[in-house]
Amino acid sequence: MQVNGIVVSTGLAIGQALNISTHPQPLDLRLLPVANIPSEKNALKKATDQLISYLQDCQQRVCPSCDTFQLIDADILFLEDEALLEDIQQHIEQYRVSATVAVERIFNELALAIADIDDPYLANRSQDILLLAKRLITTLQGKSQHDLSTLTKNTILLADDLTPADFAMLPLKFIKGIVLESGGLTSHTAILARSAGIPALLNCPWSSQDGHIEDGSSLILDAIEGVLYIEPNAEVQASLEHKLADYLKQQQALLIYKDKPSHTLDGHALTLRANVGNLSDISSLMLVGSDGIGLFRTEFLLMNAQALPNEDQQYKLYCDALQALNGQVFTIRTFDVGADKDIPCLNQHSEENPALGVRGIRYSLLHPDMFIVQTKAILRAACHGDIRLMFPMVSQIEELLQAFELIEQAKQQLVEQGKKFGTVQYGIVVETPAAVLSLESMLPYLDFVSIGSNDLTQYTLAADRTNLKLANLYPPLSPAVLKLIAMTIEKCNQAKVKVCLCGELASNANVLPLLMGMGLNELSINPASLLAVKARIVEGNYSAFYQHAQSVKQLISNAAIDEAIKTFNLSN
Amino acid sequence: MYQKTVTITAPHGIHTRPAALLVKEAKSFACDVIVECNGKQASAKSLFKLQTLGLYQGVEVTVLAQGEQAQQAVERVSELLITLS
Repeated sequence: MQVNGIVVSTGLAIGQALNISTHPQPLDLRLLPVANIPSEKNALKKATDQLISYLQDCQQRVCPSCDTFQLIDADILFLEDEALLEDIQQHIEQYRVSATVAVERIFNELALAIADIDDPYLANRSQDILLLAKRLITTLQGKSQHDLSTLTKNTILLADDLTPADFAMLPLKFIKGIVLESGGLTSHTAILARSAGIPALLNCPWSSQDGHIEDGSSLILDAIEGVLYIEPNAEVQASLEHKLADYLKQQQALLIYKDKPSHTLDGHALTLRANVGNLSDISSLMLVGSDGIGLFRTEFLLMNAQALPNEDQQYKLYCDALQALNGQVFTIRTFDVGADKDIPCLNQHSEENPALGVRGIRYSLLHPDMFIVQTKAILRAACHGDIRLMFPMVSQIEELLQAFELIEQAKQQLVEQGKKFGTVQYGIVVETPAAVLSLESMLPYLDFVSIGSNDLTQYTLAADRTNLKLANLYPPLSPAVLKLIAMTIEKCNQAKVKVCLCGELASNANVLPLLMGMGLNELSINPASLLAVKARIVEGNYSAFYQHAQSVKQLISNAAIDEAIKTFNLSN
Repeated sequence: MYQKTVTITAPHGIHTRPAALLVKEAKSFACDVIVECNGKQASAKSLFKLQTLGLYQGVEVTVLAQGEQAQQAVERVSELLITLS
């Protein structure tokens, strides 16, 4: 069995499952007998003290000048706050509720008051309060914090979320991987995992699988492809163990390409950018020498959000990204929701046929308020750096023109509100055959085009890419999809519009000679694969790539294309 | 009663971490220390109450104290409000 997630720290790991989730049990909402009020108050005091002493233990393990130390300090100060404790105790007495209910209500009230603050950064702190409430409630329910100090075996941790304090308590020697169900975008844990070199997945719904994952189950974490394997069979196990050994050797060997310019031996250049879903990834882009971001998937801002981030919150986020990119290109794809992406805060309706339903730009055009908020934030951020803006799933020129109309409205609002904004380059993600076939009509409006090869394959072959039974009808490369890619490149080159490819295909070093030979200007790649692709460019000859592409374009079957790619890579 | 008014300059305002430092300092004084902002009041010794004030960049904050070491307390807390970030 396997579950997919988002890679926030790359690597491979093998180990035993350990579930440290702290899902609170349902709260007891019954009226409390008056006689029990004192004991509830005592329970509250005891739980608070217990949590404080746990947090103090955590603190001992981190360096006093680091952020984590101070964040834990803030949690402790909250719990030691007499005004807070009094409010909770009073609530227990006045409403005759259990300590858990009182904690939830008082903390929620506080979180709401904080969320209401005009400043987005301060308002965001309400999340920390809710997390602390959850911990206090689980402590009250008698669940002690997991003691991990006795771990002796290689472990892959499964949790709903992990705080920096929890992370500080981990015996890192035995923690080989971390898999979280949630995990905010700028999540601190992602950064900590990466700096500790522990492979980690976020947004991985491991607990919703049919078979409950028992502690001690054997797990393999493939944090390159973003897959968690549960009780893998011997075959999968062997192949991944092999992959792990190869991966480590290869990573080491690839480092020499980091600072080399991305061109072939015969001097043909190709720009390599990174696909990013998590802004904390940006710092690691320096390690692979990418040339900025070729795809930032903004819908990941929404996945764990309780509400849509407002204009200022988004503006700040995009500005932070630009600052981290230090002058490099930042390509933002507007919200690509719908189809297989479930976003709780949007209350989407279920559809008969979601892949052909309200998704990508269609969703934005049906919800212009949301789209205008996003584009206003992006246009404002454009004052501070080089932004390219692209729209997903545009298939017809009418959609593109409507999007531009909304952007005009966004600009108008910014002018009226006296807010400064900059200029951006515009592009579309080409992911339907219709977009390819009607590209000429749209090119005059565009600065660049990015080919989304995953969806282009799904829509061209009419094969659902999430349906495992159709896996053989969804080959990475087929004559039909290749033709559409070739047409796109040709039309863009004629119109002198830059053309990029941002699908999974771009991350495959063996396919690089073909894609480059076909005339692409840019690839946007999963950061973990970037160096391998770059190595293929630096060690190759464009003239050979070009010949290879010409001959592959003539092939008429999936198998023949596969074979040709294999043969070429073995001999060149 | 001793009081002083200052303006927050920290780009992210007085968020959790600086607020926690401020509370620690305030607690080292015996007197009550009150922070007033946006028409709301909170004890400088309560992180919980302090967080609801909205101490963001550009707002004016008045620090008040009465009793033992009131002047030192107000001076110290207002200095922190200006310098913390």
